[in-house]
Amino acid sequence: MPHASPTKSLRAHWRIGHRSLFAGLALVLFALMYLSLALGYRLYSPEEIWTALTAFDGSEADVVIHDLRLPRALMAPMVGAALGIAGVIVQTLSRNRIASPDTLGLNAGAAFAVVVASGLFGVVSLPGLSLASALGALVTSFVVFGLAAAAGGISPLRIVLVGVTFAGLFDSFVNVVLTVNETMLDQLLFWLAGSFADRKLDLAFNGLPFVVAGAALAVSLARPLDILQTDDSTARGLGVPLGVVRGLAFVAVALLSGAAVAMAGPVMFVGLVVPHAARALVGLGHRLQIAAAAMVGALYTTLADIVARFVIYPREAPVGAVTAIVGGLLLLVLLRRRAA
Amino acid sequence: MDKAITVAALTVAYGAATALSAIDLEIPKGKVTVLAGPNGCGKSTLLRAIRRLHQPKSGEVRLGDLPISGLKEKELARHIGLLAQNPSAPDDMTVEELVRLGRYPHQSMLQPWSTADGEAIQAAMFGTGVSHLSDRRLGSLSGGQLQRVWIAMVLAQETDIICLDEPVNHLDMAHQIDCLDLVRRLNQEHGRTVVLVLHDLNLAARYADRLVFLKGGSVVAEGAPVELMSEQLIEDVFGISCRVITDPVHERPLCIPIRNSSPRFRAEQATQL
Repeated sequence: MPHASPTKSLRAHWRIGHRSLFAGLALVLFALMYLSLALGYRLYSPEEIWTALTAFDGSEADVVIHDLRLPRALMAPMVGAALGIAGVIVQTLSRNRIASPDTLGLNAGAAFAVVVASGLFGVVSLPGLSLASALGALVTSFVVFGLAAAAGGISPLRIVLVGVTFAGLFDSFVNVVLTVNETMLDQLLFWLAGSFADRKLDLAFNGLPFVVAGAALAVSLARPLDILQTDDSTARGLGVPLGVVRGLAFVAVALLSGAAVAMAGPVMFVGLVVPHAARALVGLGHRLQIAAAAMVGALYTTLADIVARFVIYPREAPVGAVTAIVGGLLLLVLLRRRAA
Repeated sequence: MDKAITVAALTVAYGAATALSAIDLEIPKGKVTVLAGPNGCGKSTLLRAIRRLHQPKSGEVRLGDLPISGLKEKELARHIGLLAQNPSAPDDMTVEELVRLGRYPHQSMLQPWSTADGEAIQAAMFGTGVSHLSDRRLGSLSGGQLQRVWIAMVLAQETDIICLDEPVNHLDMAHQIDCLDLVRRLNQEHGRTVVLVLHDLNLAARYADRLVFLKGGSVVAEGAPVELMSEQLIEDVFGISCRVITDPVHERPLCIPIRNSSPRFRAEQATQL
């Protein structure tokens, strides 16, 4: 961007360029990913981590680092980035700063789709479950936006009301299915709370293409999304085909939150919190906002995943519980400031 | 008279209700045309149909000789700018961020931002007198400032034709005049064709080169304000008995409303007495 946009973002306030900002964020992220390998019930030294990753010999340390910690050190940033970007898009589409994949019911829809696919149709393959998850998020986004728009024009208030209603509905469907099928309950309970623990490395690799595709689509929509922050008439007056852009944006959100739910279960409130931090850092332009949300989201979930190992040490809390506490508090602050 | 836009036998309906019926109208190039009429007469619908925000049931709108139905979205947005009624943007968006949005129809995936874009937004902010506000957030502006910023956004679009839908609705008297003076200056200094929807008949008479009266979805009269504003016509269109005098300052017709003369209103009054 040749013209540095003079916004009062923190980045501008601190007088640092975009490159320094993103380099700094990346550095912190790598540090956190390293800590994610090192910290936990047992602490490991850099040497132990290095041998586990390069010369795996089946020792206890190697197994813990390679099979237990590595998947979550890779998956946590992916899920955080995906939910952060999805949050940015959903908040812009609904013109509501308390919208997120959670409050619009997309995560619950994805979770329901996974439960139905595995419980009723016996889908067990990872690609199958990821696809079910993305489809669940996509269908939910169309239904929620469709119902919210039914009264003419998408009202920011209506969409959250409809979304919260659907989130509640899907949650109770999931509960019904799990109550009927108790063996599933055992397998899915920890997943449903949102967690990066006990995931196989395959799951991370399987989610990656969904996250990459969703992020690429989001970035390609950055300029029309800038325009969609205005009202419909203004956006159309500027030449944005609303239907096309919204449809593609739904697909991006579905890929991102679908992949996130398939990997970690519904990790609460990440999509709500992260866009606020991203906007504070780089302002309202979507190209930078999306990039910043990806970085901040990755940092946030990786950190939350580490914190989750210690809050009830020696046992481990689901990461969704940690993010829900932080997100819930922020939501209260936002409502009080009437930023929504 | 050169025409910028031709409206031919245009009919627009909302579901079963007809909002505009078989409208024929020419918008002259380089002039200020004001669409006026009572509530629900279809003036905003006509403006929005000119900008293709409503699909016509029949008839068409032509830009020069081209039917607008054949133009691509961005192409149309490079010819006609629109300031919508009650436009909205996030409170924490800065003035410059909003004005930059006006460049969207000139940009593409391959060329997201050019020098021409930078010059256009600087010129638009300068022309509307908001350059000094460029870093301010929209939520911190007064109503008058905010409306100037929105006009700057439409100007940055660099279109020959600018449509404004009730741009002075929520402004006090000083800012109404300020805003409309600005619009007329853009017309006179830059030769842009302006189509305005205005509620206030006297403001319409003061700023219009050409005045179009609508009633019940049809054009009932059009012409220069001096020729058009007769007491009889105003009574027919607005249902109000009035005196029309000549504004001693601007030498434009000035309507002094006396009383509501519509038959229904008179009947209601009679029953109350």
